[in-house]
Amino acid sequence: MSQSQELARLRELFLDNPDLEATRWLALAISLALVAAVLWLVRRRRLREEYTPIWLAVSAALVFVSFRLDLLRELTRAIGAWTPSSTVFFLGELFLVGICLNYAVRLSRASLLQKNLAQEIALLRADVDKLRARHERGA
Amino acid sequence: MTHTAPVGARGVLVIPAFNEAPRLPALLARITALETGLELVVVDDGSRDATAEAAARAGATVLRHPFNLGYGAGLQTGYKYALAAGAKCVVQMDADGQHDPRDILRLLAPLEKGECDLVIGSRFLAPTGYRMGFTRTLGRRFFVALARAFGIRVTDPTSGFQALGHRVLELYAGDSFPSDYPDVDVLLTAHRRGLVVREISVEMHEAERKSTLHGGLRSVWYVYKMLLAVWAASGGKAK
Repeated sequence: MSQSQELARLRELFLDNPDLEATRWLALAISLALVAAVLWLVRRRRLREEYTPIWLAVSAALVFVSFRLDLLRELTRAIGAWTPSSTVFFLGELFLVGICLNYAVRLSRASLLQKNLAQEIALLRADVDKLRARHERGA
Repeated sequence: MTHTAPVGARGVLVIPAFNEAPRLPALLARITALETGLELVVVDDGSRDATAEAAARAGATVLRHPFNLGYGAGLQTGYKYALAAGAKCVVQMDADGQHDPRDILRLLAPLEKGECDLVIGSRFLAPTGYRMGFTRTLGRRFFVALARAFGIRVTDPTSGFQALGHRVLELYAGDSFPSDYPDVDVLLTAHRRGLVVREISVEMHEAERKSTLHGGLRSVWYVYKMLLAVWAASGGKAK
C-alpha cells in the first residue's frame, strides 16, 4: 500500500470514529453555559441587548451540532479536514476573526463619536465661560 | 452645532496646544502686539499643565478638550468654532514657537484677495535658514512626491502653518478629517473637491520642544498610516 493510500485510510478511520455520547453532552453543556452567561450579563446591565443575538446564535449552533454530529462529519469530509474537532476549531477561528473585525469597526465609530462629543463639550464650555463672564460684568 | 459663539471679525487664529504653558505666553504676546484683527483661539488638547490658564490670561478664547484627542482634532475644534462664529477664514499655527507670527497676514493675503482656498506656509519654497534632519527630509520628499502624483504641487505638505478659506473649513469640519496628523491626505481631499491650494514662503524656527512624531517606529507608523489615509482620500467621498 502506498503512503498516500495509507494516509487516506487513516483519515477515513478518523472520520468514521464513532461519536462519543460525552462529546454531545459536553457541547450541550457549553452552549447552555454560554446562554446563561449572556442572560446573566444582560440582567447585570453589563451587556447590551443588541450584542446578544450573535452569542445566542453561537449557542444555538453548538446545540444543533451536538445533536447532528453526522453533519459536522460531512462538513469535515467536504473541507478536507481530518477530524470534526479540527473543523470546529477552524470555524471558531473564522468566527473570532469576523467578530474582531466587527468590533474594530464599532470601535472606530465609537472613537469618532467620542471625538465629536469632546469637541462639542469644548465649544459649549467656551460658551458657558463667555456667558458667565458677561453675566458677572452685568451684575 | 448648538453653541452660540460670537462672530469673529476678520477671521480666527487657531492654535492647538498640548502642555505648552511655558511657551504660550510669549507667543500670544507677540501675536497680540501685531493686531492682526483675528480672534485668538487656543485649543487646549487636554493639557496637564496650565496651558488653558496661560491662554486665558493672554486674552485668548480657550477651547478645552476634556481629554487629549490629538493635534488634528485640536485643529478641527478650532475650525468648528470658526464656522459657528461665522468666520470667513482661519489661520492655524503651532504653539511651540516654530511659526513666526509676522507671517500671519502674508498667509491671509491671497485668501482675502480670493486667489485661492488654502494657503500653506512653506519652509522650502524659497531658501530659508530652516534645516531638517535626514529622516524628516526623506519623509518630506516622499510626501511631496506622493502629493505630486495626485496633481498637487507643493513643497511642504506637512506644514502646520496655513490659512484656510470658508469652503476648506466646511470640508475639514467633517468626519473624514484625521484626529492625529492631517497632511497629504487632507490636501488631497481638498484638491479633489476642486479647492485651490497655494504656497507662500515663510520663515520657521527650530521648535523648542522636539516633536515626538519623527523618529524610530513612530515614523514608520506615520508613513504607513498616511499611505492608507491617502488611499482612502483618493477613492472615497469626504464626509
